[in-house]
Amino acid sequence: GSRTMSTYTVELLGPAPWGFRLQGGKDFNMPLAISRLTDIGKAAKAGVGVGDLVLSIDRVNTEEMNHLEAQNKIKACTGNLHLTLQSVSLYY
Amino acid sequence: MEHHHLYDGGENDYMQQEDDWDRDLLLDPAWEKQQRKTFTAWCNSHLRKAGTQIENIEEDFRDGLKLMLLLEVISGERLAKPERGKMRVHKISNVNKALNFIASKGVKLVSIGAEEIVDGNAKMTLGMIWTIILRFAIQDISVEETSAKEGLLLWCQRKTAPYKNVNIQNFHISWKDGLGFCALIHRHRPELIDYGKLRKDDPMTNLNTAFDVAEKYLDIPKMLDAEDIVGTARPDEKAIMTYVSSFYHAFSGAQKAETAANRICKVLAVNQENEQLMEDYERLASDLLEWIRRTIPWLENRVPESTMHAMQQKLEDFRGYRRQHKPPKVQEKCQLEINFNTLQTKLRLSNRPAFMPSEGRMVSDISNAWGALEGAEKGYEEWLLNEIRRLERLDHLAEKFRQKAAIHEAWTEGKEGMLTKKDYEVASLSDIKALLKKHEAFESDLAAHQDRVEQIAAIAQELNELEYYDSPSVNARCQKICDQWDSLGAMTQKRSEALQKTEKLLETIDQLYLEFAKRAAPFNNWMEGAMEDLQDTFIVHTIEEIQGLSTAHEQFKATLPEADKERQAILGIHNEIAKIVQTYHVNMAGTNPYTTINPQEINAKWDKVRQLVPQRDQALIEEHARQQNNERLRRQFASQANIIGPWIQTKMEEIGRISIEMHGTLEDQLTHLRQYEKSIVNYKPKIDQLEGDHQQIQEALIFDNKHTNYTMEHIRVGWEQLLTTIARTINEIENQILTRDAKGISQEQLSEFRASFNHFDRVSTAHSNTLHSAQSKQHDVCACSRTRTSWDHSGTLGAEEFKACLISLGFDIANDAQKRTGMMDGEDFHTCLISMGYNMGEAEFARIMSIVDPNRLGVVTFQAFIDFMSRETADTDTADQVMASFKVLAGDKNYILAEELRRELPPDQAEYCIARMAPYTGPDAVPGALDYMSFSTALYGESDL
Repeated sequence: GSRTMSTYTVELLGPAPWGFRLQGGKDFNMPLAISRLTDIGKAAKAGVGVGDLVLSIDRVNTEEMNHLEAQNKIKACTGNLHLTLQSVSLYY
Repeated sequence: MEHHHLYDGGENDYMQQEDDWDRDLLLDPAWEKQQRKTFTAWCNSHLRKAGTQIENIEEDFRDGLKLMLLLEVISGERLAKPERGKMRVHKISNVNKALNFIASKGVKLVSIGAEEIVDGNAKMTLGMIWTIILRFAIQDISVEETSAKEGLLLWCQRKTAPYKNVNIQNFHISWKDGLGFCALIHRHRPELIDYGKLRKDDPMTNLNTAFDVAEKYLDIPKMLDAEDIVGTARPDEKAIMTYVSSFYHAFSGAQKAETAANRICKVLAVNQENEQLMEDYERLASDLLEWIRRTIPWLENRVPESTMHAMQQKLEDFRGYRRQHKPPKVQEKCQLEINFNTLQTKLRLSNRPAFMPSEGRMVSDISNAWGALEGAEKGYEEWLLNEIRRLERLDHLAEKFRQKAAIHEAWTEGKEGMLTKKDYEVASLSDIKALLKKHEAFESDLAAHQDRVEQIAAIAQELNELEYYDSPSVNARCQKICDQWDSLGAMTQKRSEALQKTEKLLETIDQLYLEFAKRAAPFNNWMEGAMEDLQDTFIVHTIEEIQGLSTAHEQFKATLPEADKERQAILGIHNEIAKIVQTYHVNMAGTNPYTTINPQEINAKWDKVRQLVPQRDQALIEEHARQQNNERLRRQFASQANIIGPWIQTKMEEIGRISIEMHGTLEDQLTHLRQYEKSIVNYKPKIDQLEGDHQQIQEALIFDNKHTNYTMEHIRVGWEQLLTTIARTINEIENQILTRDAKGISQEQLSEFRASFNHFDRVSTAHSNTLHSAQSKQHDVCACSRTRTSWDHSGTLGAEEFKACLISLGFDIANDAQKRTGMMDGEDFHTCLISMGYNMGEAEFARIMSIVDPNRLGVVTFQAFIDFMSRETADTDTADQVMASFKVLAGDKNYILAEELRRELPPDQAEYCIARMAPYTGPDAVPGALDYMSFSTALYGESDL
C-alpha cells in the first residue's frame, strides 16, 4: 500500500465550541490528531477530517506540546482559531 | 596778252618774296626810290661791260634792246636777234624775248607783261629787274644747302662773325650803322679799311667809307645812298640784298677758296660722320654681342636651383630680363640695323666703299647671335615653370617623405630596446606564452608597417629620380629607416627564436618538473608508506600474520634496490633541469609547480627508510614471540566461550518457546519461568571465569580469535539479554495477569488475541524474511568488522537489532525459527481486525493505526495490539469516570475550586491538578473556578473542543 499526505490550514471563526475532539500529545507518545467531529460543527464545515494530525495551533508548532498544553492553547483562543493540519489516508 | 609772273607758285621762297614785294610796294614809296637808284646802279655795273648805260630805269628798257643786252652780259649767252624797228610792236617783241629768256632760266614771271614794261610802268620794271637780280646775282649763293636769300645772309653772318659789334640778322636794319659793309670789306681786304677806327654811332661815315672804298678799290658802284639808309626806319631789303650780292661776287675769288674749304669740310664731315657711325656701329655691335654673349649662358643655364625660393627668384629675374633688360636691347639691335643701313646708304651716296664691320660684328653675326639669344630664351621660361612645378612636387614629396619618415621613426622609437630585452630570461612559462602572443601581435604590427617603409623608400626613390636637391639627406634618412627596418626584422626574428627557444626550454623544464612530480609523488608516497609501514606497530593477531609481515618485509627489502634506482632516476630528472638552467640561463626563480617535494626531502626520507629497515627487523622478531603467546591465550578463551555461547542460546530458545506457546495458565507459565531464572543465575561463575580469560586477551591487545565465533561482548550481551529476556518474559506474564484482572479480559479472550496475533505474525513470513535478511546483512557487517571500542560506542542496540545480531551469530531464537517477528504490518492488522468482527471504514482504521502505530513504522507490536484490543473491549470511557469522580468532589458543580481539590486530594495530586486545570469559562463560573472536565479528557489524551 501507499500513503499520501497533504498539509492544509483552516481558520475557524470564534468563539468556541469548534466542533472536534482532540487526541494525543507528547505525553501520550501519540501525535495530536482530530479523533471525532461534531456534525455541522465549525471544524466539519471547514473540511477538517477525522484522523488528520494537528501540526500547529495559532501558528505555534505542536511537536513539543503535551495534550493539556494543546488543549489549553485552544481554550485560551478567544478570536478565530488557526490550525495547520495534515490529512492522512491509507490506500492498499 | 601774255603775262609773266614774278615767282613760280611752286617755290616757296619766291612766293613769299612776292608777297613781301607787293606789301612793300604798297606800304613804302621810299623803298621805290631806293630800288630805282640801286637797280639802276646794278644794271649799269653790268651794261658798262657792253659800253652802254642807262639813265632812267623805266625809260631806258622800254624798247627792250638794252634789256636784252643786259641779260646777254649777265648770262654770258646770246639772246635771239632783237627787232630793230621803232614800232611798239617791235618793242613788245623784244621785251618778250627778254622775258622768255628769263622764263627759260626756270623763273616764272607772274603778272609781268611786256606791255607794262614797254609802257614804262616803273613798278613792273623794278619787279622785273629784281627778278633778274635774284636769278642771276643771288640764286647761286647757297651756303650749306640753304636758300639763296638765307645763303647770302649766312655768308654775311659767317664773314662778319669775328666782328663783335656787327650782328647781321636781316637785309634791312642790321645794315643801318654801316659797320656790316665795313666788316665785309675789312674781312676780305683788311688793308682797305681801318676797321678799328670805325664807330657804331657814326653810320654816315661808316656807310660812306664802305661805299667809297667799294667803288674805288672793288669796282662796286655806289648803289645806295647813305642818307637814304640812315633816313629811313627800315631800309629797302631788295636794295640792300642787291648791293650786298655785289660784295659777294666781288669777293668771288676768295669765295671759291672758301667753297672748296666748305666742300672739304663737308666731305670730312661726311667721313667723320661715317666713321662715327661705324664706330658707333662697332661699339653698339660689340656691346650688344657682349650682352648677348653674357646673356645666352644665363639663359642656357638649366641647372635647377635647389629651392623653390631660388627658382622663383630665377623666374623673377627672367621676368625682369623680359620686361626691363631685353626691350632696350631689342631697340639697340633695331637701331644698329638702321644705323648700318643708313651708313651704307650714306657711303654709297658719297661714293664711299661699303662699310665692312670688323670680324664677328657683321649684321649677320649679330643676327645669328640674336637668333641664338632668342633660341636660348625660347624654352627657358617653360623650363623655369617646369622646374618650379617640379620643385613644387618635390617639396610636396619631400614633405610627404619627412612626415612619413617622422611617423615611422616615432613608431620605431623604443622598438629596438623592446626587441633586445632579455625579459624572457627571467620569465616563467606562462610569462613566455604571454610574451610570445605579444610578440606575435608585434610581428603583425611590423608586417603592417612593411607598406609604410616601402612607401618611404618609393618616395625617396622618386625624389632621387626627380633630382631633389636634398636627396643625400633624404637618402641617408631613408637608408637609416631601411637599415633600422632590416635590423628590426632581424631582431624580431631573433627575439621570436629566443622566445620560442625559451618556451621550448621552459616547456622541457615544465615537462621535467611534471615528470619529476609524477615520479617523485608516488615515490615519496611509497617512502612515506614504507616509513609508516616500517614504523607500524603491527596490529597483528596471528602468527600467520606476523609471518606474513616478515615475508612482506623481506619482499620489501628486496624492492629497495629498485626503489633506489627510481630515486636516482628522480634525482636525475632534477639534475637534468638544473643542467638546462645552467646551460641556457633560463629562469629558475619559480619552483616546481607540480609538487612541493624536493630532492633533499627525498634523500632525507630515503635515509630514514634505510635506517628504519633494521629496526623493523628487530620489531618483527619481537612480535613473533608475542604472537605465539597470544595464540595460547586465544585457545584458552575459545574453549570456554564455545561452551557458554551455545548454553545461552539454548536458554533463550527455551524462554521464547514458553512465552509463545502459552502452555497452561499464566500462573503455570510464571512458575516455569522462575525456575529458568534460577538456573541461569547459577551459571554466572562461568561467565566470570571467561571475563578473566578475556581480560588477559585484552591486556595482550588481542582483538580477534579465529578459534571461536564468540567475543566477550557477545557473551556479555547474550548473558544480559538472557537475564533481561527471562525478567521481561516473567514481567509480561505478570502484566498479562494484571491486564486480565484489571480489564476483565478472560484468559480465553487473551489467548484468542494472542492466537490471532500469532496467526498473522506467522502468516507474514515473506515480509519477515525480507526484514530479517536486510537486518541480518547489516549486522553481519557490524559483527565482523566492529572492534570492541565501536561496540562500546553504539552501546544501546535496539531489541530487534540485537535479535538480528544474535541470529547472524548463530543464535537460533525461537520465534525466528518459526519465522515470527512479534509484529504485524498494517495490512495484516486490518485483516486481523476484520477477522475479529471489527467492521470499520477507512477513516476509522486510519484513526486506529495512528493509535497502535504512533511512530508510523507500518507495523503493530503484540503489546500495542493487546493494549488496543483491551481498550476496545473493556470499559473504554474512563475520562467520563474521572469526570464523574471530579463532579462528586465538586459537589455536583460543572467546575471545581482549588480549596475543594486541596481538601479532597493528597497535596501532590491536588497541586498537580491546580497547576494544570484551565479556568472554567462556563456561564455559571465563579472566580477561581477550574475546568475539571477538559482536564479529565486531557488525562486520556482526548478533549472535546
